[in-house]
Amino acid sequence: MARRDIPEINAGSMADIAFLLLIFFLVTTTMDRDQAYIRNIPKLIEQVEEPQDVEERNIFAIKANSQNQLMVRKDIMENPDDISDRMIEFYRENEISNDPSNNFPMYSTITMGEIDAAIDVAYDDYDATDAIPGRSDDIMDFKQGVIDEWQKKKNALILYGKNELREIHVQAHVRIEVQSGTEYYLFAKIQSEVEEAIYTLRDDAAKEIFGESYGTIKKRYDMDKKGDAKKEVKKRDKPKLDLLKILYPDRFIEVTPN
Amino acid sequence: MSKFKKDNKKAAPGVNTSSLPDIVFMLLFFFMVATTSKESDPTVKVEQPEGVRTTDMTPYKQRSEIDFLYVGKPMNPARAQKYAEMGMEYLLFLDNVAQSNPDDLYNVTAIGRWKIDKFESKPSRMTETIEGVITCVKADQGTPSGLIFDIRKELQSIDALTIAYAVRDNGNI
Repeated sequence: MARRDIPEINAGSMADIAFLLLIFFLVTTTMDRDQAYIRNIPKLIEQVEEPQDVEERNIFAIKANSQNQLMVRKDIMENPDDISDRMIEFYRENEISNDPSNNFPMYSTITMGEIDAAIDVAYDDYDATDAIPGRSDDIMDFKQGVIDEWQKKKNALILYGKNELREIHVQAHVRIEVQSGTEYYLFAKIQSEVEEAIYTLRDDAAKEIFGESYGTIKKRYDMDKKGDAKKEVKKRDKPKLDLLKILYPDRFIEVTPN
Repeated sequence: MSKFKKDNKKAAPGVNTSSLPDIVFMLLFFFMVATTSKESDPTVKVEQPEGVRTTDMTPYKQRSEIDFLYVGKPMNPARAQKYAEMGMEYLLFLDNVAQSNPDDLYNVTAIGRWKIDKFESKPSRMTETIEGVITCVKADQGTPSGLIFDIRKELQSIDALTIAYAVRDNGNI
């Protein structure tokens, strides 16, 4: 049988096709990545209980008015860049030893024995509530949450490797109060400063305890979570982050302006 | 007498362009990898404020656990004037909202419907509950914070409890 030469395919228009695709992708995509601060909105509850009184020392209030003027803990602040320094001071002041005379939140110390005792109490409470006829599932979830919380604390202390855990007062929080006229740039700046302060605090602790920066741990955790790694690998940095979160909790309240 | 012969009779050979597709494909792949697709083209102008220590939203986008909404001044001058007369200088922009009238696109009270619609059309592989699905607010620097809190209130009423405030990261120092 006679063999015919197969003519070569003309690839001259390949470049045109590639250009077309290239231009399509140039137009429909964007280079800048979306960066944001993630915050939680409190759940809407119908019955509002009488709010607990919070001592002034436990509140780190950042206020901004409609003229975009700032006030932090009753002091007028000219430069918003100072918020993070003030916030670090708020966390650090009583960290080593409590001084009741100053206006900063107190720290409390808890030992492993005390945590174990608290876990036992929480379990007993769970069982006792479970036995009540006509109990709601919500309350069981809540009691389970209490147990989980203590368990987390226990794991954190084991990882910490010290005899006791020093915690900031449970009511200590950052309160962001803006008015409806406050411009968004200032609101975002406050969020940025608050984030910066928490980052700095956790970063210092991470370097001291684990010898690596908070950013590295967090990035690795996110990468692990995204990939198809095994479950153990995915969770390997979770206890570290939990510990840092217990040491420097990010309790932010954003007050709705009226 | 020169050593170099001038031979003008021969025409210069054409440049070989057979590697042009390779080059263009390389560029194409670079852009495919380095960029992310645009969510939508908002009809309001958004100039984001700056901030540091932000969280990258790309992983959430890849898992489609995020919805974007925009707040800014309308680009269309006629529309800007119309709403300015109603005392609304900054407007909300929702993409793909099922609208009964054109104003719904800018209506804060449409957020609930918009968010639930979006949630129901998510791919089934997504396991996140509505509480965990992020609503990312991209607001212009000049937006009054009251509007942001109006949005928060709407989200709270439908239990979409995670919000993100978008900013431009001025370098991770």
